[in-house]
Amino acid sequence: MTRQPRLATRIFAHLAVIVLVMVVLYPVMLVVKKAFEPGRDFALSPSPIPTTLTLDNFRGLFGTQGSHGEYLFVRQALNSVVIALATTVVGVFLSCTAAYALSRFRFPGRKTGLTTFVVVQMFPSTLLIMPLYVVLDKLGLLNSITGLVLVYSTTAIPFCVWTLKGYFDGLPRELEEAARIDGASAWLIFRKIILPLARPGLAVTALFSFMTAWNEFILASTFMTSESRYTLPVLIQSSVGEFSSQYGLFAAGAIVTSVPVMAVFYVLQKYLVGGLTAGAVKG
Amino acid sequence: MTLHRQLRDFAVAAAFAMVIASVAFIAVRNREVIERQFDLADRSTVAVAEDREPLPTVHGAIVGPPTASRAHPFLRHREVREGGWRTLEASPLHPDDKLFYDAATRFDRDRQPFVELLRDGSGRAVAARAHGAREIAVAVTVPIQPAHYPLLVMIGVLGLGAALTAAGALVGGAALRAGSFAGVAALAIPTLLWGSWFAAVAILLIALAVTQLQRAGLTDRLATGLRAHRTALGFLAPAGVAMLVLVATPFLLGLVLGFYDHHQGTWSFVGLHNFIEILSGNGRALDDPLNFWFTLGVTVLWTTCNIALHVSIGVALALLLSRKWMRGKGVFRMLLILPWAIPNYITALMWHGMFDGQYSAINSILQHLGVHGVSWWTSWLPAFASNVITNTWLGFPFMMVVALGALQNIPTELYEAAAVDGASSWQRFRHITLPHLRPALGPAIALGSIWTFNMFNVIYLVSNGKPGGATNILVTDAYRWAFERGDRYGMAAAYGTIIFLVLLLWNVLGGRIVRAKGDDA
Amino acid sequence: MKWCVLLAMLIACSDPKGIVLWHAYNGAERSALEQTARTWNAAHPDQPLELVAVPFDGFGDKLSSAIPRGNGPDLFIYPQDRIGDWADSNVIEPIEFWVDDARADRFRADALGAMAYRGSLWGLPMTIKPLALYYRTDLVPQPPATTDELLAYAKPMRAKDGYALAYANVDLYGHAAWLHGFGAKVMDNDGTLHIATPEAAEAAAFARDLVKSGAVPDDAQAPLVTSLFNEGRAAMAMSGPWFAADIRPGVPWKVATLPMISATHRYAAPFASAEALVMSARAHDKDAAFAVMDFLTSDASATTRAKLAHQVVPNPIAYRDPEVAADTTLATFVRQLEHSVPLPTAPAMRMVWTPYRTALGDVFAGRAEPGPRLIDTEKELEGYLRR
Repeated sequence: MTRQPRLATRIFAHLAVIVLVMVVLYPVMLVVKKAFEPGRDFALSPSPIPTTLTLDNFRGLFGTQGSHGEYLFVRQALNSVVIALATTVVGVFLSCTAAYALSRFRFPGRKTGLTTFVVVQMFPSTLLIMPLYVVLDKLGLLNSITGLVLVYSTTAIPFCVWTLKGYFDGLPRELEEAARIDGASAWLIFRKIILPLARPGLAVTALFSFMTAWNEFILASTFMTSESRYTLPVLIQSSVGEFSSQYGLFAAGAIVTSVPVMAVFYVLQKYLVGGLTAGAVKG
Repeated sequence: MTLHRQLRDFAVAAAFAMVIASVAFIAVRNREVIERQFDLADRSTVAVAEDREPLPTVHGAIVGPPTASRAHPFLRHREVREGGWRTLEASPLHPDDKLFYDAATRFDRDRQPFVELLRDGSGRAVAARAHGAREIAVAVTVPIQPAHYPLLVMIGVLGLGAALTAAGALVGGAALRAGSFAGVAALAIPTLLWGSWFAAVAILLIALAVTQLQRAGLTDRLATGLRAHRTALGFLAPAGVAMLVLVATPFLLGLVLGFYDHHQGTWSFVGLHNFIEILSGNGRALDDPLNFWFTLGVTVLWTTCNIALHVSIGVALALLLSRKWMRGKGVFRMLLILPWAIPNYITALMWHGMFDGQYSAINSILQHLGVHGVSWWTSWLPAFASNVITNTWLGFPFMMVVALGALQNIPTELYEAAAVDGASSWQRFRHITLPHLRPALGPAIALGSIWTFNMFNVIYLVSNGKPGGATNILVTDAYRWAFERGDRYGMAAAYGTIIFLVLLLWNVLGGRIVRAKGDDA
Repeated sequence: MKWCVLLAMLIACSDPKGIVLWHAYNGAERSALEQTARTWNAAHPDQPLELVAVPFDGFGDKLSSAIPRGNGPDLFIYPQDRIGDWADSNVIEPIEFWVDDARADRFRADALGAMAYRGSLWGLPMTIKPLALYYRTDLVPQPPATTDELLAYAKPMRAKDGYALAYANVDLYGHAAWLHGFGAKVMDNDGTLHIATPEAAEAAAFARDLVKSGAVPDDAQAPLVTSLFNEGRAAMAMSGPWFAADIRPGVPWKVATLPMISATHRYAAPFASAEALVMSARAHDKDAAFAVMDFLTSDASATTRAKLAHQVVPNPIAYRDPEVAADTTLATFVRQLEHSVPLPTAPAMRMVWTPYRTALGDVFAGRAEPGPRLIDTEKELEGYLRR
């Protein structure tokens, strides 16, 4: 742009963006305010500045005890961490091999396989809740961490495969071809050459799976029936109900749950978009 | 060589046939056990009613009429005649007393003889019939051990099948096909013995299929293909198996369950009834939320409104934030992607709290602006708007970031050249910016529309479908059929299948549109 | 498919580890329940009782789907209104077998009677929760004896941008006080609907006029009622025993029984919802489970719950305890029970809440007249109940 628009237009544009930023920040500020204000009700004034400060809500959140006196929040946070980590590991591990096959090999049914992964990705897991409930029940995996990890992993696989494939497609093939001429097996090539090169892609995929598992609530609340197995989203969602709402607890929990994941997200968001659209464009 | 090939094909077909036979066996066995239980219980009550001994392994006795307590009409005492008369009471010596008591109470409700399974899931049956004017003959069975899997029979039949196939292979000629067919068909023998016609027919169909495929040479091609691509398939295997167990199986299960109805604990086969009921709108008017087409309409409207808003706000912001004269770009960008960073169920609950009630944050702001507060969830438009506002807050950052990325890649020389040519800013936008945006926005819109179509959390947590279910979208409606409308699991499963088909259609059509547009870019 | 039942039996089931009880309590009620559980566990280490807190939203549905699969608890605590539905669906176990006259006499007759359905007893009452009138002593010197007196507070409160009374008015549960005060009812115990009666229409009109005249906020739900009362913008609130825990410290308050309706000279009579301790039909050790039920509803446990959580327990003996007897709030709620209507247990009751709520919403907003709108609601419900 060689010409600058008029001053009035420029000021107007800046104001518009500032207003939008305020609209974006307002709900967040309300939640932060609620977390530091006493009481369970959502206070009546719309101002985002807290009137009284207290740490009661956080104390209540961390201090909730179960029927055997154990500290539930720590337990539930641990559940969330374990489940999210396990999902990531299982999901990425299962996906990187499949993504490699779809990227490097040509075999009949490859196109169908690709389409299947795309189609399955768009199928919402909420539709499978009931049959999954029956399947997990028969396998004895209801109300168990293993069950939830397995379910989340299969939700994560299609996305991981799709993104990793796009990433692998972008890797140069010369190294692999040289290694094949030297007589290396496909598995060796995969382990020693591809995986190290693909580290950034793997990292991003892993982190997106982690975030998806960390933020999931409806499957967790349907499959887990005892409090010691709840994950953080279930805890937070259960503090706001139609009949009894504890917004203070909710706000404190929301902050504690979101801040770590937001930090990670901020660090990685530029890779995420690249991965998403690259996979889509090339797939 | 032929022998090897015949046996190979037999092995694969036999594996399928074994699975079918085993499933048939389990179904038949369970049905038989229940029927046997019912039979035992029923005949025992007849025996007891005629003052004879009940059948062995069945616990039967005569229960006397109730004596109600005067103060509490639902408290009754009953006596049972085992040897002499004694009161029915809780005691480790008489563990079945409660079962007799409950059966007698149940009988007294409508004085009709009955046989049913105990509701405690133990697989035992209880029966009752009248004995004289006021007494009741009751019988309770013990759990029966279901028959063991007939391993020897199955092995024998497998051997027979293999022998037939081998014989056909060795003789050659027409006997080749005959042997192949007979070999697999042999596995249908046990199913016929068990009376499972459906399974027998299925196995015969498999036998036919294998023979035909062999004749067309397809089995050989498949085998060579598998061997040729074994590395690729090896790599695919882990994900493939996981998907098969945890995605394909529930999916197929959901498909099958759609043909059944679940009501108060019992399943019954209803064929296409669920699908017809859903697709005909549940017998309700078109503007009734329980009508499938209404919800479909709401879902489509929901998706299009959201995407339109996300894209316009996102692109507008991206355009502004990529102008060189814009100050504080970095800070604005960081702040504006905040909604994307927050877990979306927290967003939904947050906005719910902001809309909820007469003195909610939103209503207070409206009142400060002189507008009367709105009751957000008692009519459709405000409720729908609350959902759209929440989801737009959540969703525009994604489009903004995609657009920003695309805009960065536009070489500045193009703009300079256009400026030299005297193009207006609108012409610059249309002929330079837009064509560069489209390839990036296309997939983003595709992804975004699928995410929005399936956005369970926002609808469930913000308006919760209010008023009266009118803001439900397809996925929340399906969830409610399973878990909130009297456990109609069959209906929910059928609904899920239909939603899947709608999504498939949407994706195919959407893909066509995107490709068509992309062609003239 | 009945063979599913056997299939479930054939697949190894997990070992029962003591007795599991699901509840939706929080705050003081939960601590009180946990204390009684600890007492049981200390006395019966071989039959440990495990409490599981479940969020109330969707609790009933979770029970309905988990129990038939064998994944549910052995016992659970839930309001009585779904007893009929669960009894008909074979989800819960009739318990009159274990209850003799001595045990039954432990409870108030109306509380125990609420647990009866189709000639059997399906649970033991833990607590009854009627609604009563909370009032701020700094705004209301004397509790109003009639609705006219109550409405007299409307003008002065309006001048301060407040309300005379705050309650969850669009919900049938809150509205029921007026409904019964006008002589109407929702249904008989056997499920016959009485929704579209002239008295019910009068009650709805009365509630609508409360909103129109500014005496009552429109579409208030529990959190709003709490906020308004706490901030002094509502002089009175109609709520249950649980409300006391939400009142901010420093707010002066008392409880009174609900006033008499001036138009009909009948007392406003809310629903008294009894919370039932119920046994699942799939409990593994039913005798042990009943022993737990017996213990949790014993006079000693009831006294603990009344003291610690201010629960209105249905055990008259509990009120002999000096601490409980001195609790005037509890005494007021017990007096309110004299003018309360037990919640019907017919399965149909479960379906009534949402349609009635929508109807009240329409009436309050002026979109419909009470009479015709209630007729529509009754027709709608008859449609649901037919399937």
